[in-house]
Amino acid sequence: MSTQVREKQPLWRQLFTSQIGKKLLTGLTGLGLTLFVIVHMAGNLSYFAGNEAYNAYAHKLLSLGPLLYIAELGLLAFFVFHIVLGVNIYLGKRKAREQGYKRYKTAGGQSKQSLSSRSMIVTGVILGVFLVLHLVSFKFGAYYEAAESIDGKPVRDLARLLNEKFQSPLYAFGYSGVMVLLALHLRHGIWSAFQSLGATNPRLTPLIYTLGALVGLLIAVGFFILPLWIFFTGGNA
Amino acid sequence: MKLDAKEPAGPLEQKWDRYLKDLKLVSPNNKRKHHVIVVGTGLAGASAAATLAELGYHISAFCIQDSARRAHSIAAQGGINAAKNYPGDGDSVWRLFYDTIKGGDYRSRESNVYRLAQNSNNIIDQCVAQGVPFAREYGGYLANRSFGGAQVSRTFYARGQTGQQLLLGAYSALSRQVSAGNIDMYARREMLDLVVVDGKARGIITRNLVTGELERYAADAVLLCTGGYGNVYFLSTNAKNSNVTAAWRCYKRGAFFANGCFTQIHPTCIPVHGDYQSKLTLMSESLRNDGRVWVPKNPEDSRPPQQIPEEDRDYYLERKYPSFGNLVPRDVASRNAKYVTDEGRGVGATGLSVYLDFRDSIKRLGRDVISQRYGNLFEMYERITDDNPYQVPMRIYPAVHYTMGGTWVDYNLMTTVPGLFCLGEANFSDHGANRLGASALMQGLSDGYFVIPYTMGQYIAGESFQAVDTEHDAFKEAENASRERLSKLLSINGNKTVLQFHKELGQFMWDYVGMSRNSEGLKKAISGISALKESFWNDVRVPGSNDTLNKSLEFAGRVADFLELGEVMARDALEREESCGGHFREEYQTPEGEALRNDDDFAYVAAWEHQESGPAVLHKEKLAFENVKLTQRSYK
Amino acid sequence: MTIYLNVWRQEGPDKPGRFETYTVPDVSPDMSFLEMFDVLNEQLTLEGKEPVEFDHDCREGICGSCNMVINGQAHGPNARTATCQLHMRSFKDGDTLFVEPWRASAFPVIKDLVVDRDAFDRIMEAGGYVSVNTGNAPDANSIPIDKVAADSAMDYAACIGCGACVAACPNASASLFVGAKLAHLSLLPQGQPERNRRVVNMVHQMKEEGFGDCSNHAECEAVCPKGISIAGIAAMRRDYVKAMLAAD
Ligand SMILES: Cc1cc2nc3c(=O)[nH]c(=O)nc-3n(C[C@H](O)[C@H](O)[C@H](O)COP(=O)(O)OP(=O)(O)OC[C@H]3O[C@@H](n4cnc5c(N)ncnc54)[C@H](O)[C@@H]3O)c2cc1C
Ligand code: HEM
Ligand code: FES
Repeated sequence: MSTQVREKQPLWRQLFTSQIGKKLLTGLTGLGLTLFVIVHMAGNLSYFAGNEAYNAYAHKLLSLGPLLYIAELGLLAFFVFHIVLGVNIYLGKRKAREQGYKRYKTAGGQSKQSLSSRSMIVTGVILGVFLVLHLVSFKFGAYYEAAESIDGKPVRDLARLLNEKFQSPLYAFGYSGVMVLLALHLRHGIWSAFQSLGATNPRLTPLIYTLGALVGLLIAVGFFILPLWIFFTGGNA
Repeated sequence: MKLDAKEPAGPLEQKWDRYLKDLKLVSPNNKRKHHVIVVGTGLAGASAAATLAELGYHISAFCIQDSARRAHSIAAQGGINAAKNYPGDGDSVWRLFYDTIKGGDYRSRESNVYRLAQNSNNIIDQCVAQGVPFAREYGGYLANRSFGGAQVSRTFYARGQTGQQLLLGAYSALSRQVSAGNIDMYARREMLDLVVVDGKARGIITRNLVTGELERYAADAVLLCTGGYGNVYFLSTNAKNSNVTAAWRCYKRGAFFANGCFTQIHPTCIPVHGDYQSKLTLMSESLRNDGRVWVPKNPEDSRPPQQIPEEDRDYYLERKYPSFGNLVPRDVASRNAKYVTDEGRGVGATGLSVYLDFRDSIKRLGRDVISQRYGNLFEMYERITDDNPYQVPMRIYPAVHYTMGGTWVDYNLMTTVPGLFCLGEANFSDHGANRLGASALMQGLSDGYFVIPYTMGQYIAGESFQAVDTEHDAFKEAENASRERLSKLLSINGNKTVLQFHKELGQFMWDYVGMSRNSEGLKKAISGISALKESFWNDVRVPGSNDTLNKSLEFAGRVADFLELGEVMARDALEREESCGGHFREEYQTPEGEALRNDDDFAYVAAWEHQESGPAVLHKEKLAFENVKLTQRSYK
Repeated sequence: MTIYLNVWRQEGPDKPGRFETYTVPDVSPDMSFLEMFDVLNEQLTLEGKEPVEFDHDCREGICGSCNMVINGQAHGPNARTATCQLHMRSFKDGDTLFVEPWRASAFPVIKDLVVDRDAFDRIMEAGGYVSVNTGNAPDANSIPIDKVAADSAMDYAACIGCGACVAACPNASASLFVGAKLAHLSLLPQGQPERNRRVVNMVHQMKEEGFGDCSNHAECEAVCPKGISIAGIAAMRRDYVKAMLAAD
């Protein structure tokens, strides 16, 4: 007697439509994005070495040319996949429980349900919207030319743009607020990604769970320290 | 009608092998054409359905619960016996056979029990192959423990969840056959009648428990694997849905019901705590390996147990049975608990319990060892009673647990209705008057995996089958009878609930057909139950309607059958003027108060035949013991 | 003590449901939660009303039949305790309790608190077994199995299939149920031959049944009456990826 043999699905379908494949991709893209924000944050922090250092860092990135475009394209793809899957998982879960509970309460104990885990879609969507605004205000924002030049080429004065923008409380606090939401997203996100990749076990999990929160927090602090600094001190001269 | 057990000829050790050698076979092509109904998906039913489907028969399987995996077998805790002799302590098929026959107080068939012992080893092999995670030693080999008074370690176990793991194994085999299209699984169905055509079982009537619809299913053979009838006592360790209904409707269609009075009262259960109590919880008997049973010497002693000094305690089992001590068989342990509570020495608020004390073994082995062995049982106990057994002794009391009696079957597991087979706890076969621990799981799986595939095949091969479809008059008649019964139950609209009747019946059974019985009490039970039955059919209130899920209606039907069964059990107990195993007649005891058998007059199976009018008629199947010598059981 | 109940009543799968309010007086702290419902149902029956339907059988936490969400928690407030093992001493006199059925699209309500969990059976049919016919087995001790692996397999095999993991999961995912069965079999030598096919088939069936995706809330582990670990879910994911990348 043979057991029922199902048709083997093509790899791409398993990756994109199976419940495991989807999480695998969300996790991979999520971790990819986390790496990206860490690098981004480190770049931001060069501001504290002075406007020139910051502008030089930005210039260096821009001068990568096609390499940068490829990286940006990759990044865009990560965002798109991450967002599409995140939204898909959220919609799926709504369908999986059409009638909700009158009362609902977590059991506590081993549960890792938290404000963070329950608000992934909210923090995620806000991060997405922020991303667009962020690109509009900075990447595609006002172009100032810096006094200095590197290798004879003109340099964009991004530091000035920062100094200007973050004088506004809306920008400074809005940006910082969103970074708090990023921390919230990563509080659950980082450990979750490891679990999604199957890279956990009962001994590792508590460690990853704690480190995840810590990394999330550090990233957020690393980001919002800049606008707040500029807002309260007026920024680098 | 003379009962023919159809035991194969030849020496005991060769009967089954000879049977297999001479077996008539059904060709693979023909198997597919034969449709078999399996009622019940406990260990017996699930294993039978899966194996028959593997062989190529077309199976329809039925169960009451929403999934086959939830059958009552799931609750078995302690373990399953096999004669593997892995520990090398001298076990053998013969010894397992002998212990089981003796444990059953010589009221079972030698040939059946020997076959059971032979099959026991195959069961363990099969279950391990399915992925049942039995306990193991560090070396990677299977662990054994001694259980229920056996003097060898032959019990295999999976923590305190052996029944669960064995059932999930059988359920997985069943699931595989469902997915292969060989089994049609019908859950949330209750069998309400057997359909007999030309004297042969050819189908069943079921109620769809969700829609209330009555459904007809036709087949070439029907396997009854519906479990035991312990719930006739209302309070028992059985699951709430355990019932006698299927077996009872078959009884009314001609299947004899045997040894009804042989019921097992398990000594280590959590005592009753209130009249709202709905069931009793078993504490595994393995606890008696390290726990000591005692009561205060003085009935007036009301000190908390920890403050009662050694000299004021009566370790009555150790005192009366020095060689077996706390490990005497279940019937003996239970009866002695009754004696001491009857003397007023019981403990707890109700005075209906005795202590099971781990103080000394904690001292001897350490808390860790005890917690490793019994941690989950201690937790369970604490959850229910709010007492911590590491600090205060457990309180335990006997409770109805298992029914050795059941539908009469021959060596082929066929009932007195040709084509109707009965497996597992539902049949009467292998445990005589008392079942030893860890042997019910063994019997259920032996019946299902290793007996029925051959014996049913033999039946199918030997018969010619006229096609019967569900439009046959017999189906119509049976369906109408079921429908009328259901509407009758719904129409009475009296003043008492089904539960109230069930509790009253349970009280009669416990008081008069319980741990010890006498002629006067049994007569009282017979007339009392008969009056209760009368009152039930005039005064029961069953809410709701038939065309929807209605558990009150389900339970009403089952209690109605229990009322009839209770009467037959009491008659069976009255008729059996001896004490044996779980059946203790006060009139028949040794000077020391032990059960006194009467082998000359009562070494028989009492099989009851239903009569359309008038009381049931008793048929006797004489038990011949050619291989074991009948001795008085002694655990001194 | 007196307990005030708000119980979900629903006549049938396609009928609208609502909460009904009941008062149960004289509740004893030693009663189990289901025994309190028995008392309520007796009361309702004698008043000529229809009793509340709920699933139950073993009443000792092993069959997995019982399923009530009590004040928003599947199986109520106590860890590692099925509804049937929950005792009223866990509540206070005068408590008001909301009692609801498991809620998940894959577990449609049949009536009142009774839901249809056939989806679990179909997932098991998709591969939750070792394909060994009766009689084919070698001697049980012919393959030694590391005790640690066997014990760990038992931890996962302890699943009672009640569905609390789904009920409590914010996503109504069945990952713990599926992961537990897969992990049980994957830890044993007997489970190896069909390992790849099993994980793929069961995971796909889980999706077909309409369960949500797992977002790693770990709520399932917290409500599981047997405390089954979400490590089983991680193991399932590793196995799935391996199977996905396998050539055959
Ligand atoms: C608490 C407890 C612990 C135990 N521990 C042990 C132990 O450690 N070792 C041991 O050997 N034995 C033990 N036993 C005994 C053993 O568990 C049972 O005897 C055995 O499991 C019975 O199996 P079964 O297949 O015959 O019936 P069951 O498992 O009772 O299955 C009956 C099946 O029949 C179905 N059914 C019943 N009536 C109908 C109907 N009318 N229509 C349709 N379907 C119906 C049910 O739905 C179910 O599927 C224990 C028993 C209890 C109560
Ligand atoms: C800087 C940007 C972002 C980072 C670093 C990030 C990181 C992560 C990480 C690590 C995870 C865990 C993945 C897993 O559990 O497998 C995750 C999950 C998630 N992300 Fe993001 N994310 C970002 C942006 C977004 C955006 C823009 C959305 C938009 C909707 C989003 C929506 C989600 C959702 C819904 C989940 C949960 C998925 C689930 O339920 O399993 N994220 N994210
Ligand atoms: S009734 Fe069996 S687990 Fe609760």
